[in-house]
Amino acid sequence: MQILKVENISKTYGTKKSAKEYIALRRISFEVKEGEFIGVMGASGSGKTTLLNILGSIDKPTTGRYIMDGKEIATLNKNQLAEHRIKNIGFIFQDYNLLETMTLKENIILPLALKGYEANVMEDKLFQIAQDLGITEVLGKYPYEVSGGEQQRAAACRALITNPKMILADEPTGNLDSKSGKDLLDLLTFINKEYKATILLVTHDVFAASYCQKIMFIRDGEIYSELYAGDSKKKFFDAIIEVMSVLGGEGK
Amino acid sequence: MTLRTLAFRNIKQNFKKYIMYFFSLSFSIFTAYSFLALMQNEYVIMAFTYDARYRSMLTGFGIIIMVFVMFFLLSSNNSFIKARKKEISTYALFGMTNGKIGKLLFLETMIVGSIALVIGIGVGIFFSKLIAMILLDISLASFTGSIAFTMDPKAIYITVILFIFIFCVMGLSGLRVINKFELVDLFKADKVSEGKSEGSMILLILSLVSIGAGYYLAASGDPQMVVISSIPVLVLVIFGTYLFFWGGLPKVLNLIKRNKNNYYKGANLIATSAFSHRMKSIGSVMATIAVLSAVATTAIATGFTLYKNIENNTYDIIGYDMYFYGGQEELLDKVYAAFEKHDTKMTESYTTQRYKSVPKIETVTIGNAEYISSERDYFRVYSQSDYNKLVALSKSHLKPVHINHGEAMYTYPYMHQDIESAMLGQLLTFPDKEVSITAALRSGIVSFGALHTLILSDDDFEALLKKGHISEVDEKGSAYDQVTVLNYENPLKSGELAHELTQILSGNTGSFRVAYNHYIEALETFGLVCFIGFFMSAVFMLMTASLLYFKQIMAAEEERHQYRMLRKIGIAGQLEKKIIVKRLLPVFLIPLLVGIVHSMFAMKAADTIVFSNMIPVDNSYFTVLAFSAVMYGAYGIVYGIFYFITKAQYARIVR
Repeated sequence: MQILKVENISKTYGTKKSAKEYIALRRISFEVKEGEFIGVMGASGSGKTTLLNILGSIDKPTTGRYIMDGKEIATLNKNQLAEHRIKNIGFIFQDYNLLETMTLKENIILPLALKGYEANVMEDKLFQIAQDLGITEVLGKYPYEVSGGEQQRAAACRALITNPKMILADEPTGNLDSKSGKDLLDLLTFINKEYKATILLVTHDVFAASYCQKIMFIRDGEIYSELYAGDSKKKFFDAIIEVMSVLGGEGK
Repeated sequence: MTLRTLAFRNIKQNFKKYIMYFFSLSFSIFTAYSFLALMQNEYVIMAFTYDARYRSMLTGFGIIIMVFVMFFLLSSNNSFIKARKKEISTYALFGMTNGKIGKLLFLETMIVGSIALVIGIGVGIFFSKLIAMILLDISLASFTGSIAFTMDPKAIYITVILFIFIFCVMGLSGLRVINKFELVDLFKADKVSEGKSEGSMILLILSLVSIGAGYYLAASGDPQMVVISSIPVLVLVIFGTYLFFWGGLPKVLNLIKRNKNNYYKGANLIATSAFSHRMKSIGSVMATIAVLSAVATTAIATGFTLYKNIENNTYDIIGYDMYFYGGQEELLDKVYAAFEKHDTKMTESYTTQRYKSVPKIETVTIGNAEYISSERDYFRVYSQSDYNKLVALSKSHLKPVHINHGEAMYTYPYMHQDIESAMLGQLLTFPDKEVSITAALRSGIVSFGALHTLILSDDDFEALLKKGHISEVDEKGSAYDQVTVLNYENPLKSGELAHELTQILSGNTGSFRVAYNHYIEALETFGLVCFIGFFMSAVFMLMTASLLYFKQIMAAEEERHQYRMLRKIGIAGQLEKKIIVKRLLPVFLIPLLVGIVHSMFAMKAADTIVFSNMIPVDNSYFTVLAFSAVMYGAYGIVYGIFYFITKAQYARIVR
């Protein structure tokens, strides 16, 4: 089942008059189906973060249509957008973005709390997910009291707890050491399989990308090429490196 | 780039942050200058400073204001520096020594300070006339002189010296703040906890017990008890307040957090956790503000209540616009002439006999002292109708009475709570008649020189008078002086008439009272107390409120990224506003409420000591509270204004 569809979206920064116009995205179109684990790769400045912001409805495209959950996102007003974000999208950020005034537990249930869930319903959901993601022990601690890996797992819990249509992960391994990074990627795969969550992972790390089922490469605001994972992870990894070297990205 | 150009550039770029800082500096300077200029004003010198009592009152007040201004400036300066932590750490990162940074900040303070000095003094000069007029107007009823628009060089000179000294202290204290910065904080500034405080049940209970004990002592009905325990009350309440904000309130927040169904509602979760996270850093400030608010509201409420009751009080003591006894034959004509001369209409007058009687009565002792005995004491006696006539003429609160046959009402001029119970039921034995005291009333307006007064029913009075048990002549057979009471138009504004009446009566009569004289004397004392109350409250109010503003703006800078994050999760404008309200409102509301509750108990103590004598209604505390409520309301409005300014600024920063 298709959950989102992007048609010819472009994003331009700066006004046309100022001549400083900068085109971040050019006429991009694609679809995402339920349960997919998609990677978006590209060099710095290729437009991948812009794309992520638009998909996350934090930013709006200059032109083009973006349909999710049967709704044209560009037509929503601010409040509807916020509601849309909280209902349909779960975010995982490079710097975790946990509120340091709250315990991990409070951080995780925050999206549900904002939706007005009952306390016991929230706790039931929380303990299920926290157990799966292995952070039950540290739920009562504050973000600055736990490791980066645990913070990022808490962030993943927060993204997952609302059962969003799509999880957007922006360089989630960027701040983690390689062990924690690998753990997190395994976790995302687990989430993808067990929770049937649709995940869109933005990264420039080839290793992280190799966990995806499909990768879109972006260059100068356009989709340059796409790659699908085959049976062999090694082959997929090599294929990604090949594309990245052509793109001029910084493959490992 | 020299330090000086950097300093100028910083001010320009931090202009928005500097506005409030600048405002509070200017306001402090304005306060100091206004006060100093007031002390130099010739009329104020004439009216007050010749009297040692008033002078020491004003000086003490001046010192309190200056100490507070200093405390306020130091603490807002430190908050301001902390709000600029990132910028300052960046200088340090690029190799600027702390000494140099301190110098840079000192330069900035001096630049902003000099502008604030000019503006503060300028505004002070502009308003000096107004302030002097307010003081003289509320404390001198008859003040008619015109106050010149003055620029006082001495006040300017002292203000400038004083503030340059304060700026230097601020520079040093700023340096201390900078020295405490850890460079590494620059990179994790937002991640580090400011020190959340879990609070403790023991502290919570201890603080409530301490405050409660203070309240209990303050609410005691015995004036002497209240006076004796005033210091313990202050210590208990202040100690309890600090404990409450240090350990009690965090515990309360913790308890709130336990109620998950309420706490886990989106906005509550964010706001409560953010507030409890700041508790440690803001606890002392909130406690200080609560205590200062209590002082300020009490001062202003006391002043206002006193001021509003001076007139009532005058009539409750004197009773009429004027009375005198003795020498009527010659004096009345002169008095009437004086009224004519000053073109003042006399509205009412009444002359009556001062009767006396010495019935037998059991000796009454109160405490260890003999209060009344037949051997030493006599009673002034009125018939019911004569008494009612006097009461009707008087401007006091007294009401006409009805006395039954065989009964009597006893009135006494002293304030002592045991007299009434001691005298009620006492039997007065006349040679052929017994009368019992069935009512007692504290009032001096019918005594006219006597310590004990009786009001009898008309027939009892007639009967006793006939038999000579009540007499109008003394042992030697000469008649007692009659008493004349008078009311006239504009009694409290006719200063010259009162002066002339005083001259006519003085020395030529048994005794006399003119309400105007009493009123003016009370006005001078209470007017000054009242003015000091107003001035101090205004200063405390504005400064504590802006202190909270600074603390919250500083917090906003640090909480900014949280809101950015919340927006990504999906928080819309409406909810964000709600969160900000829930986050900021307690910061303003809690100290204000604590301060007002403290003040209500302080007013209860003030009522016991002072007002219950001044305001002659059954429960004077309610009257006092009604007057106080006006001032609490005013205080609340000012805090409300600051709250809205803070909220707007906070919302702007986190947007």
